[in-house]
Amino acid sequence: MSQREHPPVLAESLGKKYSRGWALRDCSLEIPAGRIVALVGPNGAGKSTLMGMITGLLRPTTGRISVFGDVPSGRGMHRSVAFLTQAKPLYPQFTVTETLKYGRNSNPGWDQAYAEELVEKAQVPFAAKVGTLSGGQRTRVALALALGKRPRLLMLDEPLADLDPLARESVLRTLVEECRAQGITVLLSSHVLAELEDVCNHLVLLADHRLRLAGDVGALLRAQPEHRTLSQLALAHMRTEVAA
Amino acid sequence: MTWVVWRQQRPVFITLVAGLVVSVAAVLLWRAATVADVQAGNLADCVLRGLDACRGKAADEFQDAWFDKLHIAQGTVLAAPAVIGVFVGAPLFAREFEQGTHTLAFTQSVSRTRWMVTKFLVAGLPALAVVLVYQLVVHSWLDVAGELGPLATGKFYFTTFESQGVSPIAYTLFAYTLGMVAGAVFKRTLVAMTLTLAVFIAARVLISGLRESMITPTRVVTDDLDGRTVLDGRPLVLESGYLDAAGAVVADPTPKMNCVGRGDAQGIVDWETCYRENGLAQRYSDVIPADQATALHLLEGAVFAGFAVLFVLGSVWAVRRQV
Repeated sequence: MSQREHPPVLAESLGKKYSRGWALRDCSLEIPAGRIVALVGPNGAGKSTLMGMITGLLRPTTGRISVFGDVPSGRGMHRSVAFLTQAKPLYPQFTVTETLKYGRNSNPGWDQAYAEELVEKAQVPFAAKVGTLSGGQRTRVALALALGKRPRLLMLDEPLADLDPLARESVLRTLVEECRAQGITVLLSSHVLAELEDVCNHLVLLADHRLRLAGDVGALLRAQPEHRTLSQLALAHMRTEVAA
Repeated sequence: MTWVVWRQQRPVFITLVAGLVVSVAAVLLWRAATVADVQAGNLADCVLRGLDACRGKAADEFQDAWFDKLHIAQGTVLAAPAVIGVFVGAPLFAREFEQGTHTLAFTQSVSRTRWMVTKFLVAGLPALAVVLVYQLVVHSWLDVAGELGPLATGKFYFTTFESQGVSPIAYTLFAYTLGMVAGAVFKRTLVAMTLTLAVFIAARVLISGLRESMITPTRVVTDDLDGRTVLDGRPLVLESGYLDAAGAVVADPTPKMNCVGRGDAQGIVDWETCYRENGLAQRYSDVIPADQATALHLLEGAVFAGFAVLFVLGSVWAVRRQV
């Protein structure tokens, strides 16, 4: 009940410093529930660092972060959050069936029927070992594992990076359909701005280790009418960063 | 969660069990041959009472055939903990970090601590059981050779001591948790394996040198100054020397052992009288009696187990740490 009042992600002057320097600094933002958020920015802007701190894999150097009201820690990830990293790690020696069984064993709210349905839709053979699957099939299995958890916040770090255009299209479509249908908040990072165009209704733009722009896409475009699309808007902001 | 770890550890477990089955089969075959040789040579009595009780060709031949093999078998029991540490303990977490699958594990709803504990138990318990079974099987072979085999050197001879009682299990626990913490901290399988082997060997050598001082020795005093009396049950002799008439230890008995020119007409020296006249009254030995061997096993085992607890806590810290 109290979780309902808390937004999926709330960050206050959040910062992360590695030995080589700041990856992200002074980032205050709120990700409202039910949005599909595009997290964009040039390489090294701090996108993965921000996601790492939301999952609890990374510890903030400064500031505070809460996920559905809880502070992410090293004890384990919030049970309402699912995370799919760029590398999509899965146990290569497990079969697809075993991978889903892994999800069932590791998550109390697991929805086996739903996860199986997602794998079936993707036409991935259940008996195949994960190590033998194609990049697209692996992504679909990883997505089934993430969604089978029935999360309320789904984070995807460059989920489409190693896929061919057809696979990208079908993965993205599945993702959006499922999340819209279930009101899951999605935080999606990608370099390919055009892909996010029709999908995302909220924008978080990082550049040079800082938060540059955050808000509803429609509202941002109305405020800056010289940009007609999300990609133009994002690109313009990244350009000014590089120029500066 | 148990199933998950079980599924991951399956290849390791199958390898361990296959190795155990082959080794046990080999040991049992040799054991059968040893039993046959004992019967053929009519050595049952020598096995109980030792080589001194039965001089004979059959006993010598038996020792030529089996003594070294039995010794090597004890050596394999000593090596087993290192194998478990290097091949089961070290990759346990290092492999997850290397493959990046720790992110997968850390982003499920199961807490990291529970994930860790499950991995620790599901991978560790079968490994401990394998070592225990192997130890018992090897020991049943040694018992067949009895006093004609390596057991004749007493309970404290290092290959016998370290391959008996709780020791192999304590060493295995140490090596396994050492491998685990090395893997969790350094996150590289090869680094963890190398480190486990090196630290394990160093710790074993060091602690086996120290273990004698873990028990206060018992002083055995005898009037037999020749020192030919055999002590009961072959205890571990830490120190021996002479006492003067007042019962104090003679710091440097060498000058008092000078009996030149004390021989009788035939040149035979009565050592005992000579020593006594020189002021050496009694002979003493500081020993750990054979019946305290179990206590020493437990004490040394407790030291290794103590380190194992530290290593487990270290692993918990390393796995729960956020970078």
